Amino acid sequence: MRLTDRRFAFFLMLPATLFLAVFVAWPLVQFISDSFFEISKFAGGPRTFVGLDNYIEAFTSGDFGNAAWRTLVYTVIVVVFEFVLGLTVALIFTALGNSSRVFRTIFLYPLMIAPIVAGLLWRFLLIDNFGIVNQLLTDAHILQDPGQIQWLSDPNIALFSVAIPDIWLTTSFISLILFAGLQNIPGDVIEAARLDGARYPTILFRIIIPLLRPVIAVALILRGIDAARAFDVILIQTNGGPQQSTETMSLLVYRTMVRFGDPGLASAMGTIYLIAMLAVSVAAILLIWRPGSENDR
Amino acid sequence: MNGLETTRISSRVILWIALVLLVVLYGFPFLYMLFTSFKTPLETIAVPPTVLPSTWTVENYATAIGRDGVVASFINSIVTAVLSTLISLVLAVPAAYGVTRFRTKFGQFFIVGALVMRMVPPIVIGVPMIAIFRNLGISDTSFALAIAHATISLPLSIWLMSSFFEAVPEELEEAAKIDGASRLGALWRVVLPVTAGGVAVTAIFAFLASWNEFLFALLLTATRSQTTPIVIANFQTQFGLDWGAMTALAVLYSVPVILLALVLQRHIVAGLTAGAVKG
Repeated sequence: MRLTDRRFAFFLMLPATLFLAVFVAWPLVQFISDSFFEISKFAGGPRTFVGLDNYIEAFTSGDFGNAAWRTLVYTVIVVVFEFVLGLTVALIFTALGNSSRVFRTIFLYPLMIAPIVAGLLWRFLLIDNFGIVNQLLTDAHILQDPGQIQWLSDPNIALFSVAIPDIWLTTSFISLILFAGLQNIPGDVIEAARLDGARYPTILFRIIIPLLRPVIAVALILRGIDAARAFDVILIQTNGGPQQSTETMSLLVYRTMVRFGDPGLASAMGTIYLIAMLAVSVAAILLIWRPGSENDR
Repeated sequence: MNGLETTRISSRVILWIALVLLVVLYGFPFLYMLFTSFKTPLETIAVPPTVLPSTWTVENYATAIGRDGVVASFINSIVTAVLSTLISLVLAVPAAYGVTRFRTKFGQFFIVGALVMRMVPPIVIGVPMIAIFRNLGISDTSFALAIAHATISLPLSIWLMSSFFEAVPEELEEAAKIDGASRLGALWRVVLPVTAGGVAVTAIFAFLASWNEFLFALLLTATRSQTTPIVIANFQTQFGLDWGAMTALAVLYSVPVILLALVLQRHIVAGLTAGAVKG
């Protein structure tokens, strides 16, 4: 018996579909259903249906709102820095042409480093008293003494400091994607603008960025999703402190689940977090990427 | 070469200087970690800190490797990453082929679904997974962790492989089928050899995703299947802050993949930009 093409395609996708159903969709369903129960912290303990109580508790607790806000701030810091830095580097690479090749290779290396290692490394670099960053800043007379900036122990700036390793790790990703996008911009368009007397900033904002929009959108959405889920990089640097100033959603859900042993509440928080992320991503895709529009290809 | 390359000498000089500064700034953290790993334990926490070791020693490496569970965790990391890469490829290759070649309704639903799965935070599915693996009787094994890691790399692998398959002209399979090959035979003998580079790229990314992963490893492993990222993180609580040994272990864990990246540089760039840039 010969399968139709449609059946054949279905059977090709079946194993992956089953795998994702069992190991992603099913845990996801369990997680969401947990959010409607009050669950004892002891294995095999009682499980009582409480309706939307966990959601009400989540929305009324200050921790949840604060963590949501911090996640947003963290994501914006990471994405904005990475985009500005990444675009600058991509433009320099493009301006220097093929001779920048060796540097493009060097720029790639942080992408291979584990976030946990990057977090530890930066924690080491940023330690108040014997960290090399403050020492170098002091040697350069930017700081009066090495203890002046307490990167990871000052609650006012800690959220910014914990974002540094993330920026360091993945700016290369944005650079490489934008660099590849820049190679596809037709040279005659730029040439024509030059002949019309356009200066570089005009070319950048009027031609390059609009033409790159689909590429920029993909890069920012991918990075935004990852930054909003950041966990290990923050955990290893501050564990959410000082005074919860770096406790983002992932850390709050983790802490509520594992430390406080309240899976019901943690699930409700996680579910809201998941829905918010899906909504923001879909909105971002529709707003800036506009798949299928004339800008797509 | 396009209209954005500059030929003016003065601008080129300025840009080169900017680039060199940037690369020094970018490379410094890792170099500093490398230097620190060769310092004596006392010098790693010296005030004020030094950049280069005053005496070079491999003491930290000896300490790090000699610790309980470090070597075992390396083996676990390798086994988990290889298993997870295999799971990912075996599932992603046929699925991506099914999506790109036959364009069915189910295929469209499937690829969108896979993308949505990529957005699910690991913390959300990690805890229910503990119970699933317990029921399957594979708690605290590298196989279970490899499955968990494949949930991260599979959507990415499907996406990457789809973009590589799209680049293969359909005439190639038509010719194979006229010569009597079945559809599976055409995929196996004709399409896969042509996309071998793409399969390699996908494998590298799946491997890296598992090698560097932390949260699933934290939730799903105990002593038996612990991977090195967990051991590195435990250095700070278990043994106090031994920065020297910690940096040595971090260097040992990062250098293989950095070297891999430098060797396979072109493939990695191809993978990173596939899907994001279609041109």
